[in-house]
Amino acid sequence: MKKSGYEKDAYWNFIVETLPPEKLRELQVKKFRRIFEWAYEKSKFHRRLYQEAGIEPGDITSYEDVSRVPRVEKAMMRDIQRKDPFPYGDALCVPLEEVTEFRQTSGTTGKPVYQPDTWQDWEWWSEAWAYLLYAQGYRKTDRVFIPFGYNIFVAFWAGHYAAEKIGCEVVPGGVLDTEARILKIQELQATAMMATPTYVLGMADTARKKLGIDPARDLTVRKITCAGEPGASIPSTKRRMEEAWGAKVYDHVGATEIGAWGFECTAQPGGLHVNEALFLTQLEDVETGELIEEPGRRGKIVITALDRIAQPCIRFDSKDMAEWSADPCPCGRTFRIIKGGVVGRSDDITKIKGVLVAPSAIEEVVRSVNGLGDEFEIVVTKKGDLDDITLKVEILPEAEGHQEAILTELKDQLRLKTNLGYRIEVHPFNSLPRYEVKAKRFRDLRKHE
Amino acid sequence: MNQRELKRMDARIRGIKKAAQELKERHGGIPAVERNAARILASLKMLEINISDLSAFLTPR
Repeated sequence: MKKSGYEKDAYWNFIVETLPPEKLRELQVKKFRRIFEWAYEKSKFHRRLYQEAGIEPGDITSYEDVSRVPRVEKAMMRDIQRKDPFPYGDALCVPLEEVTEFRQTSGTTGKPVYQPDTWQDWEWWSEAWAYLLYAQGYRKTDRVFIPFGYNIFVAFWAGHYAAEKIGCEVVPGGVLDTEARILKIQELQATAMMATPTYVLGMADTARKKLGIDPARDLTVRKITCAGEPGASIPSTKRRMEEAWGAKVYDHVGATEIGAWGFECTAQPGGLHVNEALFLTQLEDVETGELIEEPGRRGKIVITALDRIAQPCIRFDSKDMAEWSADPCPCGRTFRIIKGGVVGRSDDITKIKGVLVAPSAIEEVVRSVNGLGDEFEIVVTKKGDLDDITLKVEILPEAEGHQEAILTELKDQLRLKTNLGYRIEVHPFNSLPRYEVKAKRFRDLRKHE
Repeated sequence: MNQRELKRMDARIRGIKKAAQELKERHGGIPAVERNAARILASLKMLEINISDLSAFLTPR
């Protein structure tokens, strides 16, 4: 098999990765019907949703039929949580004792969403990552360093286990600080790494300024897999990272509720392949919900994880925006490509330092702290390669004597609710802009290009 | 890969699955057997996704 100049060992599973598109669609519909039936039978939440919409598994006979199935939004998952079976609620499709993994979303867009997984789901997570890492050239000969604070967020956990599955040697860089991580990479001659773009650039900066190490010259990392921010799909940021490290930088896209559903391959075709073996991804018009199949037209990504069983992800409204690429990939994969990666979100949520943040979440914190005025302003800028977020607040005149305690509470609550550290500026009371109609309290001054 | 080869792989996967399921059920009160058999089945599902689903799809019986 040599359809594209690539041998079959260039793929994790050459059979499915090079299936003709019409065969892939057929396979996806078949698998969609299976997971739909599973959720319909096992979960009260899903059955209620589908019965209200008047649709059942037997109604799905074509790719177009899939679009008739109601979308699930994050807010719906939040609503059912903390109920029986605790803490997941009635979208759970397996007995609670079969759940072996807990993860949660960051909660920066509201209350965190809990994600239960069985051991099979956890195998599936690493399988999805194995497809992507293999496509990015990870092999048994790689020593992979993971500078990630292993915690309740799924992030690079699955990357760790996928690298193991491929046969790489994995070095968990858990609680080490940045300098210690760089020195460990140097000591062990690691060949690959996974991190957010912000951190990839920050590490290079620290290496040069604090350790006198030039990553491109003095380290051996030659491929980097990014997640958490769009940077690795932004040409100028990708170029900066590749130059700083002397490495190929690859993007991937995923979410806690969905899985790792898209990846860049070594051909770097200017976009991300959708993993159509494990996910059914559809683009829909934001206004009309119409299915978008043609290249060049942006739509909202609605996605189904075809094999995830504990808390199925069926027609999840990701809020991400993308468009299909018209060009086939030189790598020979027939998995479709979203051009330029995820190009934005359908609402105002934005990523800062790799964390999704809704301005409303910050507003909620500011207004929950006694002694702070009603007005505030958030300014996001780039300091060098790093995101910087400034929060301007006012102290009420009667609370001025308690400024230190107020600011301590504010910082604690912000870190707790948004997982971010802020530069706090206290401004004289009544000096920040006041608005009568639509307030503009959030200013994102970063430029990606 | 030809369809016969795919079917052969699928048959082997089904054989392992049957054996792992039997081991899981007849664990003799040994948690080490029951839980490790359960893990084999979880891993086996990835073989089903990669081979059996395709075998059933590409070589309908």
